[in-house]
Amino acid sequence: MTLPIPLIQALQVATIAIGAPLVSGVISRVEARLQGRRGPRILQPYYDLAKLVRKEALAPEGASWVFLAAPLVACAAYLTVPLLIPVLTTYGLPLGYMGDILGGGFILSLASFVVAVAALETGSPYAQMGASRAKTFAAITEPVVLFVVFTVALLTGTDLPYVLAATVRSSAGQLVRPAHLLAAAALFMVILYETGRIPVETHTGTNEFGMIEEARPFEHSGPYFALLKWGSWMKQLILYTILVNVFVAPWGLAATARPADVGLAIVTLLAKAAGIGIVVAVIDNSFAKLRLFKITEFVAGAFLLAVLGVFTLYLGGG
Amino acid sequence: MHTLAAADPAPSVFAGGSNVIALIVLLLEFGMLRQAMRRDQIRLYAVQSAAISVLAIIVAAARNLPDLYALAFCSAAIKVVVVPVVVRRLLPRPGQQGAGDEIAGSGALSVASTVLVAIVVAAFGFFAIGTLPIRSPILPITALAIAFAVVLVAFVLMILRRDVVSQAIGFFSLENGVSLAALVVAATMPLIFEVVFLFDLLVAVVVFGLLIRVHHGRAESLSTSELTSLRG
Repeated sequence: MTLPIPLIQALQVATIAIGAPLVSGVISRVEARLQGRRGPRILQPYYDLAKLVRKEALAPEGASWVFLAAPLVACAAYLTVPLLIPVLTTYGLPLGYMGDILGGGFILSLASFVVAVAALETGSPYAQMGASRAKTFAAITEPVVLFVVFTVALLTGTDLPYVLAATVRSSAGQLVRPAHLLAAAALFMVILYETGRIPVETHTGTNEFGMIEEARPFEHSGPYFALLKWGSWMKQLILYTILVNVFVAPWGLAATARPADVGLAIVTLLAKAAGIGIVVAVIDNSFAKLRLFKITEFVAGAFLLAVLGVFTLYLGGG
Repeated sequence: MHTLAAADPAPSVFAGGSNVIALIVLLLEFGMLRQAMRRDQIRLYAVQSAAISVLAIIVAAARNLPDLYALAFCSAAIKVVVVPVVVRRLLPRPGQQGAGDEIAGSGALSVASTVLVAIVVAAFGFFAIGTLPIRSPILPITALAIAFAVVLVAFVLMILRRDVVSQAIGFFSLENGVSLAALVVAATMPLIFEVVFLFDLLVAVVVFGLLIRVHHGRAESLSTSELTSLRG
């Protein structure tokens, strides 16, 4: 028995949407344990979402429809990206070739852009500060992402995520290639920035002056806030999926359409994402937050890795 | 459905792995550009030297060159143990006047700009080696390009950092870059030469150590910007 392909495609989106709060719950649990606290339940993010959905939605005076539309657009964008990346299968699904890595990157930036516009709509200083900082630093992480894409393109001859995953699986020599390791490390640093983790930003807490990503949905409430929160968790899981299923460990994906294989792939993906989450939690607990103006140094480090990746490949022939 | 195939065959695991170790050497060199504590600067150098010894052992095992085991041992003993200990001893002790000043912010440019300059210089290194028709039976040529980049970035370190510790460590790590290049193009060189080079390094360490002491004794600081006042 095999599952119909469109169903697998839908399952990719559902895995990301439903699994994202779980991964976030695992991370905050591990983080609390490392700090010697008991920590919240692993399922707490789901309860948070349920609570927020039941609450009343308020908008600041003077905010237009953009403010209310932004969470919906952002969520729609986050639900589109899982169609493009290998979430569950090694073989490309019909909509998987709709866009390449850059296409996925554009959709993720669209989501971040509409959230920033909504933050500007509010007139709240914290939300506006967060939005302006997020856009400023996004501009300097952009070259890093581009160089990672260049590395992928030089390694595979295309920039389709499915092809890179297949290339990495093809031999152990591909996995230990310096360019591949450097690109993966640079991508990991960008992910730390994009998901608002230490050393860039404290994920939880109320240190408003250090806030970047976390400050943007300050004025949203009720179901809209729930959508934004859920969206940021989905973004986190999408980025982790790209890191593990395309770069670091593209194993455990379903090679067939049999329900057992696909089910196993879902479990493996969530386990691998939780593994990345644990690494992130350990980093969270072992480093201090960088001062705002030191973030450029952090990004310069990521840029260095990505550029050296291109050098070793294109000029060095490695 | 599209075919999923790699564009070009990957190099062997040995080639990839040794390139990765060479790259670690280069990344540690970049780390020295921004290191703020002099003790950690020396530690970075020790780790870098250890990486080169590890590479020598791997090459010795994979290419059946038993001489390299002896070289790896000598270079580890001198560069991982002796040189860091001697440099640390020669630095002014804590409690002495001027000993507390760390080397943070001694760069002539900001850290991000220094890294960008070093990237450009490293690119030149990669490009220059890429145009040469050199092939080595021992290690992939990428490792030679990386070794050349290490040498050039060590120059950037010595030119842009204005403190004696970074400049001395920059000079020693330049020697590390040369050792790496020697592993690629001259791994079969007689052992006696390699050992002579290592003892040469010891002489340099003593000379630099004396310079550091004299400079610190006169200027009561590790910064070389004081030397500007000596101009006529």
